[in-house]
Amino acid sequence: MSTETPKLDVREGYTEKYGFHDAEQAVFKSRRGLDREIVAQISELKHEPQWMRDYRLKALEIFEKKPMPTWGPDLSSIDFQNIYYYVKPTSEEAKSWEDVPADMKRTFDKLGIPEAEQKFLAGVGAQYDSEVVYHKIKENLEKQGVVFLSCDQGLKEHEALFKQYFGTVIPSTDNKFAALNSAVWSGGSFIYVPKGVKVDVPLQAYFRINTKDMGQFERTLIIVDEGAFVHYVEGCTAPVYSSDSLHSAVVEIIVKPNARCRYTTIQNWSNNVYNLVTKRAVAYRDATMEWIDGNLGSKITQKYPSVYMMEPGAHGEILSIAFAGHGQHQDAGGKVIHCAPNTSSKIISKSISKDGGRAGYRGLVKVQKGAVDSRSTVNCDALLMDEKSRSDTYPYMEIEEDRVTIGHEATVSKIGDEQLFYLQSRGIDKEEAAAMIVSGFIEPIVKELPMEYAVEMNRLIQLQMEGSVG
Amino acid sequence: MTTITAVPELESWTAAALARAARSDEPAWAIAQRSAAAANAKALGFPKREHELWRRIDFRSLEPAFASLDPWRAAPATRNLDDLPAPLLERLGSEAGRIGLIVQRNTAVVIEQSAPELARKGVIVCSLDRAMADHPELLRERLGAMIEPDYDGYTALGAALRSGGAFVYVPDGVEAAVPIRIFHWLDGAQVLSAPRSVIVLGRNARATIVEEELSEEAGDLSFHLGGTEVFLGEDAKLVYGTLQEWGGNVYHYSNQRAQIARGAELQWIQTVLGGRIVKSNSYFNLTGPGGQAFVHGFMFGDGRQQFHLHTLQRHLADHCTSDLLIKGCLKDRAKSVYQGLIQVAEGAQRTDAYQANRNLVLSDTARADSIPGLEILANDVRCTHGATIGNVDPEQMYYLQARGLPRNEAQRLIVEGFFAPVIDRIPLEPIRDHLKALIQRKIG
Repeated sequence: MSTETPKLDVREGYTEKYGFHDAEQAVFKSRRGLDREIVAQISELKHEPQWMRDYRLKALEIFEKKPMPTWGPDLSSIDFQNIYYYVKPTSEEAKSWEDVPADMKRTFDKLGIPEAEQKFLAGVGAQYDSEVVYHKIKENLEKQGVVFLSCDQGLKEHEALFKQYFGTVIPSTDNKFAALNSAVWSGGSFIYVPKGVKVDVPLQAYFRINTKDMGQFERTLIIVDEGAFVHYVEGCTAPVYSSDSLHSAVVEIIVKPNARCRYTTIQNWSNNVYNLVTKRAVAYRDATMEWIDGNLGSKITQKYPSVYMMEPGAHGEILSIAFAGHGQHQDAGGKVIHCAPNTSSKIISKSISKDGGRAGYRGLVKVQKGAVDSRSTVNCDALLMDEKSRSDTYPYMEIEEDRVTIGHEATVSKIGDEQLFYLQSRGIDKEEAAAMIVSGFIEPIVKELPMEYAVEMNRLIQLQMEGSVG
Repeated sequence: MTTITAVPELESWTAAALARAARSDEPAWAIAQRSAAAANAKALGFPKREHELWRRIDFRSLEPAFASLDPWRAAPATRNLDDLPAPLLERLGSEAGRIGLIVQRNTAVVIEQSAPELARKGVIVCSLDRAMADHPELLRERLGAMIEPDYDGYTALGAALRSGGAFVYVPDGVEAAVPIRIFHWLDGAQVLSAPRSVIVLGRNARATIVEEELSEEAGDLSFHLGGTEVFLGEDAKLVYGTLQEWGGNVYHYSNQRAQIARGAELQWIQTVLGGRIVKSNSYFNLTGPGGQAFVHGFMFGDGRQQFHLHTLQRHLADHCTSDLLIKGCLKDRAKSVYQGLIQVAEGAQRTDAYQANRNLVLSDTARADSIPGLEILANDVRCTHGATIGNVDPEQMYYLQARGLPRNEAQRLIVEGFFAPVIDRIPLEPIRDHLKALIQRKIG
């Protein structure tokens, strides 16, 4: 069968829709590069307590000591000294949309943020470069004691709670990029859901990089108390610049007994962003943690959300979609660590590579000593759209118990000729048929997204699939 | 720390190896290989723990004992088959006179015999040393062609200290009518043997080769540092068994490489039962369209045995098939790591590759790691892998116990059934029976 592929930018439309940038009007911008002075300056500007300043400086030392990872995608072209580590866009976080500076408002309007808020969200945060510029939560949730703040505000307003959990799930010694984030973090979300409170509509945060050569290091800390539920959704975009930006977030989540947390990411950075993120949750007795991780954008993504099941009955779930087009390398995946008996986990990964892109799954299933009667299944499917693209699967299974059931399956294939033929024989043209097959391929994950996101995801995939089969 | 820990004995050993090779009139090209390997070994040192293939199972318990090893331990006088150790004779059974046979004891080949059916057709079955003298034109381009000289410090050390090994050559269009068996035997302890073997099947040739590794039970440790390179010409077919049953004192490190040309077929059966810590890297390259490789293997560990099996299925040409199944069973405090990768090169369309790793863990102190991987650079392919880790299925146990079988018996049956698909592929019946008995003994 012919596979004449018209040359097409897989992320066609990105430049017009998300790739614009505003004139830089930062109220403060650190000089390029990273040293103790910059870190101290960030802490000072934020009027942080001494312990946080010390924590940052210690993390900087760790960052400097740790070598670059020797595995995975090639990160050698990141120039840590060419990056702006802190860009403060406004002097104050706005409480009402009207107070957001006009430029930024236009940006977020274009991206559909306030619109989304009115429609279906319980709360919205918007981060522009290093700081959260807008934050809003529905009153009834606030009354029930739900806290949804920028991470900086979280530290200011709830220091005791913040200090109790900050850095406990992902210590700054965890890896080089977690150390970097710990040193220069800014923005991100701080969420606390009190016992028994169920936040039935999602909280959303939107992350936007505007400044060229900028590093965004948001930090998110979510604590879901006993029996509570929250669904947090994040989206990200950036302008298309010729030089590379760095996004290195740290997300820590604590899911207490019987609680449930769902964390959805639609990552749509422009193709000049290195996206190197550490995300980890701990789930206690009978708690459930779910990561839904969609990676469409960025130049290189390295992200393996993980769930540590700490007590019996905990459950972890990771659903991952990666789409790699021309010049992109999506090194996605997930980790589940069974630390207690009767814990269960499920990982489903779907990846699509196209136009020379490289998408992969890298994952770990670990059953620690004593975690008997653990169950885990991993399913990885990959679609290769043309002969130039590449798919990798690197699952790791480390099992220290015998009474367990662990399974892993992975398949790599192209779009089935029979499937295409079947649809075409029913009068559907080839392109549409291929898009339908791809939609079907990712459906198990897309159906878990909130409706607006599912629609958006399908639209994005459709857009990227245009002209993909000849 | 990233300092290179050189083998302290390296300099004196490699110097002595070169001197010995010169004394025994080894050809200059082979000596040059040794000295290049010595330089590599020195530069590389022991593999670092952070290396992906050394993180999970390493030789830290072997490395301090290097000084006690003897890389040139001579074989006891072996003039004919009767001088062979009893376990070897038992394995040979009544076949000895009718097959191609090579026996290596410690660091040298002591018996090399071809059968009349083989010799008549030009099949060569001899020691590597003899092949160097008699068939340099067949050997020179192949020895070291596939095992990367700088693969790691151990591989380089093995090439520098090379001691013994076999050479098998089946000419174009010839079917080796009787099996060829290669034995490795270690007498006593503190031996370092480093055999390098080369197996060549010409175009449209056929052969069955079984390589078995056995040793005398001994207290102190020994080290087997082996390498084998297999070349299959177009449309050739090889059934190849590598059966490892060392005593509990033997550390094993080996590199096996196979190259499969257009239309050729390799059936490779690997069993790992013996040794203390065992690491082996088994790679094959499918280099021509239509090549096929089938690998079936199992590992069965008990006590404190540690097994690390690394496989690489490299599809370099289109329309090739590979199918790999590795089964692991672990009891007591045994540990296994299976680390496998399918690589499909750009342009290797219509690849059909499969990789499965099934693990049965019989005790809560045993440990199994499974790391199957895929790297796919062509799109018109079907590549699948699967891995499972679990203990004996309680429903199967219940079924058998409900029929009056005691628990132990039921478990034995299930474990035997687990291994059966691999055992059934081993070409020679006496070997199959022997392996079944060995497994029964291990189940206890």
